[in-house]
Amino acid sequence: MAKSDLQGTLDLLVLKTLAHNGALHGYGIVLHIQNASNDLLSVEEGSLYPALHRMEQNSWIDAEWALTETNRRAKYYKLTAKGRKQLQQAEESFDQLVKGVRAVMRYA
Amino acid sequence: MSLIRKIRNLFHRADIDREINAELQSHIDLATEANMGRGLPRAAARREALLRFGNPTTTREHVTAADATLSLDRFWADLRYAGRQLVKSPGFSITAILSISIGIGANTAIFSSMDAVVLRPLAVPAMDHVLTIAEHHERTGDDNVSLANYEDWVRRSRSFEELSVRTGVDMNLTSVGDAAHIHAEMASANFFSVLRVQPLLGRLFVDNECTAGRDTVAVLNYGFWQRNFAGDPSILGRRIELDQRTYTIIGVLPKSVQYPAEADIFLPFAPTPQQLANRSDHLYLVEGRLRDGVTLPQAQSELRSIASQLANTYPITNRGWTIHADPLLDVINGPLTPLYYRLLMGATFFVLLVVCANVANLQFARGIGRRTEIAMRTALGATRTRILRQLLTENILLGLIGAGGGLLFGWLYLRLTLVFMPEQVARHMSGWSNISLNGRAFALSLVLALVAGLVSGLAPALEALRINLSDQLKAGSRSTIGAGRRRWLRNIFAIAQISLAVALVVGAALMAKGMVAQLHVADAYNPEKVLTFNVALPARQYDTPQKQAAWYVESLAKLRALPGVTHANVTNALPYSDYGWNREFQIENRPTTPGKDQNALNLVVDSDYFSAFHIPIIDGRAFSGSDSIQATPVAIVSPRFVAQYFPGQNPIGHRIRMGHTDSSDPWLTIVGVAHETSYTLWDQNQYSVVYVNTTQRPSPTTTYTITTNGNPLALAEPARKALASIDPALPLDSILTWHHFLIDELIGLIYAAGMIGLDALIALFLAAIGIFGVMANVVGEQTREIGVRLAMGARREDVLRMVLRRASRLTGIGLLGGLALAFFLARGVANLLVGVRPDDPLVFGSITVTIALIALASSWIPARRASRVDPLEALRSE
Repeated sequence: MAKSDLQGTLDLLVLKTLAHNGALHGYGIVLHIQNASNDLLSVEEGSLYPALHRMEQNSWIDAEWALTETNRRAKYYKLTAKGRKQLQQAEESFDQLVKGVRAVMRYA
Repeated sequence: MSLIRKIRNLFHRADIDREINAELQSHIDLATEANMGRGLPRAAARREALLRFGNPTTTREHVTAADATLSLDRFWADLRYAGRQLVKSPGFSITAILSISIGIGANTAIFSSMDAVVLRPLAVPAMDHVLTIAEHHERTGDDNVSLANYEDWVRRSRSFEELSVRTGVDMNLTSVGDAAHIHAEMASANFFSVLRVQPLLGRLFVDNECTAGRDTVAVLNYGFWQRNFAGDPSILGRRIELDQRTYTIIGVLPKSVQYPAEADIFLPFAPTPQQLANRSDHLYLVEGRLRDGVTLPQAQSELRSIASQLANTYPITNRGWTIHADPLLDVINGPLTPLYYRLLMGATFFVLLVVCANVANLQFARGIGRRTEIAMRTALGATRTRILRQLLTENILLGLIGAGGGLLFGWLYLRLTLVFMPEQVARHMSGWSNISLNGRAFALSLVLALVAGLVSGLAPALEALRINLSDQLKAGSRSTIGAGRRRWLRNIFAIAQISLAVALVVGAALMAKGMVAQLHVADAYNPEKVLTFNVALPARQYDTPQKQAAWYVESLAKLRALPGVTHANVTNALPYSDYGWNREFQIENRPTTPGKDQNALNLVVDSDYFSAFHIPIIDGRAFSGSDSIQATPVAIVSPRFVAQYFPGQNPIGHRIRMGHTDSSDPWLTIVGVAHETSYTLWDQNQYSVVYVNTTQRPSPTTTYTITTNGNPLALAEPARKALASIDPALPLDSILTWHHFLIDELIGLIYAAGMIGLDALIALFLAAIGIFGVMANVVGEQTREIGVRLAMGARREDVLRMVLRRASRLTGIGLLGGLALAFFLARGVANLLVGVRPDDPLVFGSITVTIALIALASSWIPARRASRVDPLEALRSE
């Protein structure tokens, strides 16, 4: 479970972020996760970009180059219909995971 | 679709890399900007961003991997790596690729040829529905069909969509160039629809052209069109003269359907009422197409019941006759061709096995040198599956390159086969002209290549992974031998190679011996000194026995007058030719017992025939000049005839008559008995013979023989001129020596023996390489051991002996296995092939010795190298 679940969690965070914010570039995603989690979670770029590209290959997200507010070119990602479905599934299975882990923690 | 995108990404790697770089760069820029926004100076902001980002190279690689995780990409990488590895060891690569090319090339070529000749000789749709239907007599076996019976089958049978009838006629073509002797098929119009053949040019004849007066149209067989009309596309409408009758060419059949192969031309068959009513002349060939859902046994049993109805209705002509149906494919192929091909395919497949063993062996040898490399890669984090896949990729690459080379080799091989097949033999093989490397063969070669790569790569690849990492890196040398298993496996491959090679060589030698025996079967007659050719007297011009007899007298006189000619003769069949007509006959004052037929080969010869061929007359007299057409017709019989029909009696003076009870032939008085002579080559039956004199009972078709002491072929032109001086319009077929004729008859066997011989040579060569490879490696691995032995006082001869002993053990086991295999296979083959004995001690013995010598010779070099090891050098080098 370990590896894929952790990766799944990152996917979930990214998908959720994009669902919330519409189109966002990689750096924006990092910032959003950091802020939204009150600095509890910090996403490593080394993991984020491979994950973004993997999700793009899976057609969960779409990418397009655009200009930032400061007039820099950046690659923006946004959710596709497939990604929305994937997000829903990921949320459900994450809930299950959390519930399961909680139950075990309480029991122990 | 993401898969497509990934595949597309593979081809845009540069673009993708650039884009990833730009994206990551923009991230760093954004982070730097943000940091500057927090008040950091530019340089510090940037450093902070970079620090935060981590190792950009690793990230980039991971991102790239996400974009192209497809294993195809890794496969490319593996392939490139494999290519580099192969280039690094050219000796290994060239040997391996060459042997795979040979193995696959031979297999592809043989399969192509078999596909064209045996599996699909005709492009006839649903060919398994097409049957040939013959009449079958309980005593004499299969025979052609009488027309009245055929008409009854058509009316009564329900199993067939259609039945068609045809009969072959030899005709003289006079209007095109030199007079030529051609083979025409008079066929019913539905012959073409039974085969479901469409014309290449023009049209085929139809039903209402199969009536007298409207039947002067002709359809050409493809081969004849090519040979005689150079494939002229404007041939349609051309008029040709056949036996002094004019026909209009209306169509040409396609190359892919040349059946019967010997037919030059098809003419509409317009039977006369008399022919339609005739039940006793078995002259016709019948083909039929089964209705869908009707099986061969069902059709067969329906035909049998029709035959027994006919036998009841027409007891005189039909008693004892039944009907026999065979798939057309079996009839075209005959018994021998598929057998040869199966033998050949089997032998060639053996070669491929030897090739695989050889490549595996080479891989082993290479595996030793690569253990350090593999250990290093494992230590650097490569998983075992990863390395295994890499090694297999290498083998598949080898296999693919080999397949390419194999196609080239196969093409060459096929060209050679085609070139060496005599034209007059090829003409009789329906599928021969369709032989080419085909798509199926290519597919087969690819599959073979992959299988060869996998089979030969798997064992060594697994072996290479079995190494102990730390030991390997520590020692970093070839001295650590996985003593037991690997050596054992490698020995198995070497032994298998020797065994397969031995079995092949023995098989090839047995076949070759059988072939040579067959080729020399007629040596007593000096067939190199005898020229032969066939003549068919046109029925219109030579319409009476008198005219035919006169022709023979005059032509033989002219030929005998040629300088250098010692004998000139005619006969219907040469000894060992498988020709001749086995006819029924009656004995005077002896009623025929129903179901007990009397048959003998009826040969028409001239008076001089017996002395020319050194056939002594053992009783009575020979033919003489006084046996004229007015004199009492006489016959000479063979001892077998006497034993069969006049046991314990003197046959001389008795009278016999050729033909059925209603025969109109004259009675022949037996005047002599000639020494037993065999007229069969392949046919295992021996026949009784009745000779008659050509001056009394001339035959319109005959074989001339001219015997000389000089070069027989030099007489071909004078003979042609001599005959042309009597009748310039009379066509002569190719003139060749009797020896040549026998070669043509035996060409299938010669081919099969030659090809299997070639296979055997290849296998032997590969086995020699295999032994050499194994021994060279053994010596290489044991250098230190040998060094120690020498240092401890072993003599060089001891080392030499040690290595050779080991080679002998391998060879010995291989030989034993091979001989057992060969003996087992030869017994199967000997039943099928004339002249092959499975237990020929000479062949087995001499080959055992030969192969043992080859094996020892190929281990000699490594053994010598071992004995020359310098102990100091060997010990220091480790």
